[in-house]
Amino acid sequence: MYRYVINRLLFLIPSVLGVIFILFLVMSMTPGDPARILLGDAASQAQVDELNRQLGYDLPFMEKYVRYVYKMVVEQDFGVSYFTKQSVFEEIWPRYKVTVSLAFIGIVLSSLIGIPFGIYTAVRQYSLWDTIPSLIAFFIAAIPSFVLGMLLLYAFSLQLNWLPSYGIESFSSFIMPALAVSIPPAAFNLRFTKSSMLESIRQDYVRTARAKGASEHTVIWKHALHNALLPVVTNVGMSLGNLICGAVVAEKLFSIPGIGSLIVDRITYKDEPVIIAGTILISVCFTVVMLLVDLIYAYIDPRIRAKYARVKG
Amino acid sequence: MKRKGLLAISLVLVACLLLAGCSSAPKSSAPAAPAEKVLKLRLPSSLSSLNPQNTTATRDVKVWTQIYEGLYGIDESKNGYYMELAKDVKLSADKKEYTITLRDGVKFHNGEPLKASDVVFTYNRAKKDPRFGYLTAKINNVSAVNDSTVKITLSEAYAPIVHTFSSLKIMNEKEVTSLGDKFGTVPSKAGTGPYFPTEYAVATGVKLQAFEQYWGGAPKIKKVEYRVISDDATVQVAFRNKELDYLEDASLSNWDTLKAEAGPENNVMIKGNNIHFMAVNYQSPTNNSILANDKVRQAIFYAVNKDDINKAMAGGMGMPAITYMPNEYVPTSPVTGFETYKFNQAKAKELLKEAGFPNGVEVGTIISYPSPTSFNGRIAQVIQSNLADVGIKANVQIAENAIITPKMYSQNYDIAVFSDSNNFDFNNIRQQVHSESKGMYLVKYKDGKFDWQRIEKLVEQGAAASENSERLKHYTELWKIIMDTATINPLIHRPVAIVWAKGLNIGKPVPTYYKVKEFSWQK
Repeated sequence: MYRYVINRLLFLIPSVLGVIFILFLVMSMTPGDPARILLGDAASQAQVDELNRQLGYDLPFMEKYVRYVYKMVVEQDFGVSYFTKQSVFEEIWPRYKVTVSLAFIGIVLSSLIGIPFGIYTAVRQYSLWDTIPSLIAFFIAAIPSFVLGMLLLYAFSLQLNWLPSYGIESFSSFIMPALAVSIPPAAFNLRFTKSSMLESIRQDYVRTARAKGASEHTVIWKHALHNALLPVVTNVGMSLGNLICGAVVAEKLFSIPGIGSLIVDRITYKDEPVIIAGTILISVCFTVVMLLVDLIYAYIDPRIRAKYARVKG
Repeated sequence: MKRKGLLAISLVLVACLLLAGCSSAPKSSAPAAPAEKVLKLRLPSSLSSLNPQNTTATRDVKVWTQIYEGLYGIDESKNGYYMELAKDVKLSADKKEYTITLRDGVKFHNGEPLKASDVVFTYNRAKKDPRFGYLTAKINNVSAVNDSTVKITLSEAYAPIVHTFSSLKIMNEKEVTSLGDKFGTVPSKAGTGPYFPTEYAVATGVKLQAFEQYWGGAPKIKKVEYRVISDDATVQVAFRNKELDYLEDASLSNWDTLKAEAGPENNVMIKGNNIHFMAVNYQSPTNNSILANDKVRQAIFYAVNKDDINKAMAGGMGMPAITYMPNEYVPTSPVTGFETYKFNQAKAKELLKEAGFPNGVEVGTIISYPSPTSFNGRIAQVIQSNLADVGIKANVQIAENAIITPKMYSQNYDIAVFSDSNNFDFNNIRQQVHSESKGMYLVKYKDGKFDWQRIEKLVEQGAAASENSERLKHYTELWKIIMDTATINPLIHRPVAIVWAKGLNIGKPVPTYYKVKEFSWQK
């Protein structure tokens, strides 16, 4: 098991190098350059060239790539933003923490809402307790997160004046963004858990458990849910990864200084150091989350545990 | 029973989370001591730096204007430039040497007195920076005559140098040098303006504190906070929720709602110092160089309905343009004496007929940036429709700046819609009509069929003349020639919508460079 974890962590190295390479390649293929953007239309080509030289943007693609990787690995230096002249790490780290916090709050909320309701609706299939939550989930899943965010803003900020409309000064500032990012995945979690549970409770081993006289509680929680959880865990892990990458809508709408909105903003300025470092952090985080999902899988599923045990043996 | 319990626990957890948040929610109605009331303003995007030489972008300069001052300042409510840190300016007979006496009693935020050496330091620093090359190109030398007098020598007579005097904000040499590379990334006390920064984060914004020793008297509002709020809809909610006190350049799409929220005394819609143009490339090879035909270009100009553009772009609240810059803000901008191509479909059709195209003609593609829903994008679509009404067919291509602007700047287009803004000297037109300029030289007059030598001569004469009346004369002739070529058509000035909180006085509203030091809370 340990070997598996170490292997997966080592796999991060070529992944990150590949991500950096692709980013440099894509950036080099897109039109425009940061100096022209920074200097504006009135600057001469000589001035643009000089600033590009000062920024190190004029270097050949491979030289830029090798230099970047060297500095990142040897000096732990992600460079300086073209736009703000600040250390890239100092710029992105606080934003990264904000995004990860938002994503975690979002995933906890969406799981707390979606999974229990998913189990409940599966157990009570065709009853009113199934129909109403399923319909609500169907409706919510169809609402884009920015529309949901606007509705929340209108209700809680404008009409009720309970919550601030922007910023992250207090915990209350996180509530609307967290709801905006968690409600759509909660709806998906509900639908996913329900279908997984429905599939599970129709399996032979559930029927066998019932035939053996096990209580309904034991049948549902021990036999059906245990097996139904496997795909749900994957879905939750994927949702967390998506939230870290994709909270940009909520970040923009609620003016939250997160990493997604930072990358989107800096693409406009072709601020390569920030775009690349931000994307690296996101990709590392996504890979780690996927590793955690695999580990949880192994914990939940005895077949996978046994497989690792055999490999070890 | 246990299942119900689990559900209940989940719901209680969610409710606790929500209630915990609500308990610490800031209440906008919470009473605050009047002297400590914070003025809250919006930043549409991150403030790139606290170093006033980091960029020339207007959005950042608006904030720096509260912290730093130049030898000259800009006051749009008083028709342009005025002496700010300069007390007296003497111009030599050859109009190349400016001897500037500095204002007495000016202190930097760190307590140091303003000296000529600080001006020399600031200007020399700018001269080394390519970002300011276009502002400092005419400056040969800057030297301190004594502690309160500085001499600036130009390579040639150049009246628009006042724009440079206004754009370069004077910084304290000692403060900047001591901070080194950190300058601009952390709050510092390097300015002489009415406010100094106390907190700064690129991600969220900046907080300012009144400078009590400000030479113009201590500002009435003591604390100012700029917050980054990028989404226009959120900004409106924040203003209506009293989380913002002053909102300039507000979205026009919900102007009626905002106006009603602010009240009749607390809103204004004024002409912006910006302009949207269309350029017609008379050298384009499209359709056998159809745009080289003077009558076709004139027909295009007469076919454009600026009222339609106004409705589509600004809900009818914009101001149709006839010249390069609004005369209200730029006194040397001409107002009469040139063709304005007032919308006239009959004349457009007649011109097409005279050109030999009574059944219409194809003129290629109208290009613009950055998106179909942007101001420029919408204008391009209206022009396409206007042209179709008289039988002129054109396609529209709208894409990111990075794709479109290289086409414009290399004169690789048929018709282009673009914008220009926020300069206060008509000499800015140089970038569009003089062959030595870079970037916005969309129509290549040089070596073409128009009197390009006269165009360039007039640009140079306008810059060399020191009297506004003389400059206006040159620029009027210049603009007449340009309009006669039917190559650059000024379309519309975008309106600037401003709302402010009840209980706040803002003095005379201005479209761009507002001054918080003029603001006060009503008692």
